[in-house]
Amino acid sequence: MASSTALSFNFSTLSTHFKQNQAPLRGICNVNSVSLPSRGIRPGSFRRLRVSCAAKPQTLDKVCGIVRKQLALPADSSITGESKFTALGADSLDTVEIVMGLEEEFGISVEEENAQNIVTVQDAADLIEKLVEQKAA
Amino acid sequence: MNIRCFQRNFSAAFPPLVPLQLPSPMETHLWYILPDEVKNSALLNQYSELLSPCERESVSRMRGDQLKKRALLARALVRTTIARYQTNCQMNPRSLRFRKNLYGKPEVEWRNEDNFNPPPLHFNISHTSAMIACGVTVNVPIGIDIEEKQRRTKNNIIAFAQRYFSPYEVKVLTAISDPEVQRQEFIKLWTLKEAYVKALGKGFSAVPFKTFTIRFRDTTMRNFHPPESSVSEESDIVVESSEDPTDPANNWRCALLEVAGSHYGAICMEKDRIAGENAPPKLTVWKTVPFVEDVCVSGTDAVLVLGGMIEQ
Repeated sequence: MASSTALSFNFSTLSTHFKQNQAPLRGICNVNSVSLPSRGIRPGSFRRLRVSCAAKPQTLDKVCGIVRKQLALPADSSITGESKFTALGADSLDTVEIVMGLEEEFGISVEEENAQNIVTVQDAADLIEKLVEQKAA
Repeated sequence: MNIRCFQRNFSAAFPPLVPLQLPSPMETHLWYILPDEVKNSALLNQYSELLSPCERESVSRMRGDQLKKRALLARALVRTTIARYQTNCQMNPRSLRFRKNLYGKPEVEWRNEDNFNPPPLHFNISHTSAMIACGVTVNVPIGIDIEEKQRRTKNNIIAFAQRYFSPYEVKVLTAISDPEVQRQEFIKLWTLKEAYVKALGKGFSAVPFKTFTIRFRDTTMRNFHPPESSVSEESDIVVESSEDPTDPANNWRCALLEVAGSHYGAICMEKDRIAGENAPPKLTVWKTVPFVEDVCVSGTDAVLVLGGMIEQ
């Protein structure tokens, strides 16, 4: 960038409150595959864990792949469940294309009201799992 | 005494924005920035000082410098554009506050102070990687959308249209044999549909794309307009609701433009019943680098009306 003054514009210092995004535990959690050392933990106590678990990691991975492809993001760019579509540079046409790609990949149909509420990659993965479950039911 | 007038000298570093009268009813103002033309770090610093802490945080969360710059310029464009319009006295772009309506459409939050009548100003923005645009009207809501002319979809166009567009629109697109022309017409339709939904301001789920049709209709009103005005001879653009196709009283005007040779731009605004329905709305377009240069480009090659009854 050409600059006619000594001041250099550093985008990353724009906000003093900016915190690094942390990878959520939600997308990784899958009760079935967790093995715990036996310490007398009763099966009933897993119930609370299950409620806060979101989509399976495989679902999240597939969503990330579709998003990465649609937005032509480099392979090494990090996409997590917390990633917001807008922050990744998706405009409304991208978002609709992503939803269409997800519909094809998972064999589901996403209603407009639901599509509008998708803000993060995790939202998309959660919605997919819900629709896949409904379809199987 | 209006205390707000003291804000005129809010910062010695900012040259004043060229003040403007509000658009009149049935008039649209369109302002756009080309991000590639804005490289000066000091200028970007100035812009960032206009933003609220919340906006700055949003900008910093964008991935990569290009997206951050785009987000920064978008907020700077909105703030400086609205601040230009003189009401009681010059507004400070930094002190403008924004909120979202019930459905998420951004609007200005005017402060409720004595002797201050908020201007009946409406705005809407849209951006691509190469342009950021802000449309302004008075009295009536406005929605705009811009897309790069060269935009390609990852999905097959007809498959996409079958999924999201109305049956009539699918028919129109399918009838186009040249794939490049088909792609262009698709992008034009997309921008028009986006602009309409954004003008309505009720969110995308309130009016899904499939429930309305954008139709180009030949107008028979060509000799209504005096020869001097550069009225487009192209078709009128109407919006028909699928729920009630027999109702021709659609309240929305759409126009389609080519901007800067590189983008399609769609503008949609509600008809102002008081101002009169027959006069075509007037459009004025500026290319701007806020605080540096404003160029009125209406009537030049930078703005071509492709459809809709609108004059420059």
